[in-house]
Amino acid sequence: MNRNRKRLSMVLVLAGITLLVLLSGRIPFWTYDERVLTTDIEQFFSPEHLVRLLPLAVIILAAAAAITGICWIRKRYREQDSMRARYEGMRSSGRAGKRQGRQKVSVFSVIRWSVMVVFSLLIIFGGIFFGFTIFGIDIPVLSCPTNRSQLMESSCYFLAHLPDLFAEYDAVSIALFFGSTILFALLLGRVLCGFLCPMGLVQDLVHLLRQKLKIEGFVMTEADYRKLVPVKWLLVLLMPGAVFAGGNFCDFCPALAVSPVISGLKVSLYFSGFMMILVLVGSFFKRRAWCNICPLGLMIGLFHRLSPFRIKKEPTACTECGACYEACPMGIKMIYTEREKTDVTDWNCIMCGECVKCCPEDHALALAFAGKKIYDASRKRVVSGYQDSEEQADFGRLSGAGAEGAGGDGAGAR
Amino acid sequence: MMGTGRKTGKTGKSGIEERFASRFLAKQEKTSAKYLRRVEELGEMPEALAPFLDTLRRVYVDMALPDALRGKTLIGTYCVMAPQELVYAAGAVPVKLCSGNYTAFSVGDGNAPRDACPLVKAVEGFCETGLMPIYRDCALMAVPITCDCKKKIAGMLAARSRVFPLQVPAGRDDGDITQYVEELYRFAGILEDVTGSEISWETLASGMRQVGRAQYELSRFLAWKKARHGLMWGTHILAVMHAASYLPADVWASSMRRLNDELEAKGEGSGRPASRKRPRLMITGSPVIFPNIKVPLLIEELGGILAADETCMGERGMSDPAVVVDESFDGMMRALANRAVRPCSCPTFADNTERIYRIRQMVRDYDVQGVVYHVLRGCLVYDFEYQLVEEVLGEMGIPVIRLESDYNEEDVEQLKIRLEAFIELIKFRA
Ligand code: SF4
Ligand code: SF4
Ligand code: SF4
Ligand code: SF4
Ligand code: SF4
Repeated sequence: MNRNRKRLSMVLVLAGITLLVLLSGRIPFWTYDERVLTTDIEQFFSPEHLVRLLPLAVIILAAAAAITGICWIRKRYREQDSMRARYEGMRSSGRAGKRQGRQKVSVFSVIRWSVMVVFSLLIIFGGIFFGFTIFGIDIPVLSCPTNRSQLMESSCYFLAHLPDLFAEYDAVSIALFFGSTILFALLLGRVLCGFLCPMGLVQDLVHLLRQKLKIEGFVMTEADYRKLVPVKWLLVLLMPGAVFAGGNFCDFCPALAVSPVISGLKVSLYFSGFMMILVLVGSFFKRRAWCNICPLGLMIGLFHRLSPFRIKKEPTACTECGACYEACPMGIKMIYTEREKTDVTDWNCIMCGECVKCCPEDHALALAFAGKKIYDASRKRVVSGYQDSEEQADFGRLSGAGAEGAGGDGAGAR
Repeated sequence: MMGTGRKTGKTGKSGIEERFASRFLAKQEKTSAKYLRRVEELGEMPEALAPFLDTLRRVYVDMALPDALRGKTLIGTYCVMAPQELVYAAGAVPVKLCSGNYTAFSVGDGNAPRDACPLVKAVEGFCETGLMPIYRDCALMAVPITCDCKKKIAGMLAARSRVFPLQVPAGRDDGDITQYVEELYRFAGILEDVTGSEISWETLASGMRQVGRAQYELSRFLAWKKARHGLMWGTHILAVMHAASYLPADVWASSMRRLNDELEAKGEGSGRPASRKRPRLMITGSPVIFPNIKVPLLIEELGGILAADETCMGERGMSDPAVVVDESFDGMMRALANRAVRPCSCPTFADNTERIYRIRQMVRDYDVQGVVYHVLRGCLVYDFEYQLVEEVLGEMGIPVIRLESDYNEEDVEQLKIRLEAFIELIKFRA
């Protein structure tokens, strides 16, 4: 009975999402009469450009309002529970400053963030500033190529418009499209998601904002993640499938409100605008909320077995402390529970390295490229924030151990 | 909350009571002093070990509070699962009250059922007599309910002091963590009531920093110990860890820093007790708590070395750091709950296979040649897991010996004979 009801509600949700995707083109958020898909450097600095950023401002304001509202409701709700209400003030207060004892920034994080920022800026604005764009070669990240001035095309457009691809292009172009997309997916896997995708950057930024504000997030359990699985697969079907059913996935895709809008183009936003608000709110409370259902990410993930980037585990070194699982934005539980296999790469893994960063046991987890560990778990790194700053007592000073890993901060004395 | 208790009446003692008290004290001081002497007689003591031994002496022989605890609000805790960070956040200092005391045990033996575990009997004994200042002066006792004995002791203690029983989940899944987070919120509330000071984001962060300092130094020590086998006598390390029960974390950390510095300065070679030839043993099983350190002492007096310690008063108790992934107040609470429950290889959890992996890893890390499985008479949960540990170690070709003992010295001769044979066996195999 209960089970049936659960199934029924899942079917209803999926049907609702399908309907929403198919009808998304009829839900306008911000429309223009004429489309302008390219821009150049002069326009880029015109006042007109600022006006075209308006939809973005609306999205951000709406998201901020929604976040405030959610915090407020949560607070009201908790105040009914006397024990929890006591700490309510602590929960959502914007405490200033860093927590003492936070672990030091590792070289890996610096690299990941800089690559993400630089690549996002490059792909979105590169075409405008360099004055040329690369056509033909497509990279599978969610940076909307509706912006024709993008440095490079993203595969998603044609994945969502397969009939166009086959109708308008010759065999070589088609082969080049699939070839480049698959090659990127094979070589980089979801490193694309963790290091390159601008949508990923946007979500990581709002997550960072939440951390700075010291507002608590939503904790998702394994059961919650499981509920997302059918949604993911549905979206994977709908992304290429919507056009065949008279819809258009791009009217649903939140990324339409990123690259084209901040480049100052005139692109009508339909449900995408609302979707982007949802994504901002969602990923504020739950890191990388959109990535957990992103169809493009999942398609790349399907190639994960062949990608040279792996998450490696030394099963006995692990203490099942669960820190990696708590930290993982994709809710991959296997990294913490696995006790036999040494390869714990999951198709959902975006190679963000958060698990390695939080793992307190030397060498228990590592991010490896082609068999070589490039980011290794280290106790020393995890407790680095607690080092006595005046006295500078260091690990195994005389042991000379701790070869400098890519973390740059040594792999613990060994 | 289990009721506020009356303090043990100290007024109007009858003559009998007084005589009992002085006999109790004399006996307890004698045993503790003897064990401390044996610890010292092992020799090759780093200089920086002194403050740790002094702390134990102060608490058990002088029966007084260590200076660092004077004037502080003390919160008694009975297990690593009561997060010390929270206690510091409330402006108090946690002390670990799990006891290994023979004399107190003999008092508690009369009140608790015969099959109850000696640890619990000893705790009962101390509270009963009210003679140990650390037990007497605790403003609150936090008792994680990890087994039946602990549950009952929580009830018995409630007659004498304020008690907060922490419900420990039986598993470690997502729901269990959520449940334990709730429990910690409740604990935080009680702590605020008892100490009268508020727990805030800032105080919790500084509480975490306080414990973090200690963990930093311990991690440093362990890294060094893994790299240099036989760095110190295992019994000396035990003393260091047990002293942590009676010292504020920052005080302990600075003593620990001096010890680390000394060991590092010494570097290779000189003054290390462990030559390769000593059989390298590991102890696991029921808690080994000062002054009940007869088993580790015997191991080292009989020619072995205690190379690794998987009991919870040892290195394991403090070594897992709380990893904060969400910088909010709730995030820190969650990190504490997570750290208390998930990496803890205590057999109170229904599924505890992680302990097996930990033992395997420690055998590898410390190059262990034999394992001593310590069972306190009446400690069922640990005894349950013996079979599996024996099986796994058997596969690895590591001999195990199961030693059952109680809190008295009657079984010492028998333990000695068995340990001697075990150590000989390892020498022979090597
Ligand atoms: S709207 Fe989304 S799916 Fe469509 S082309 Fe842009 S980024 Fe790709
Ligand atoms: S999963 Fe996230 S990071 Fe990956 S392509 Fe989708 S939006 Fe980008
Ligand atoms: S498994 Fe690790 S690298 Fe992969 S998504 Fe999770 S935290 Fe990131
Ligand atoms: S963080 Fe490291 S030690 Fe903890 S569960 Fe994950 S892999 Fe194991
Ligand atoms: S054995 Fe278990 S219950 Fe006892 S103190 Fe250790 S962790 Fe706590």
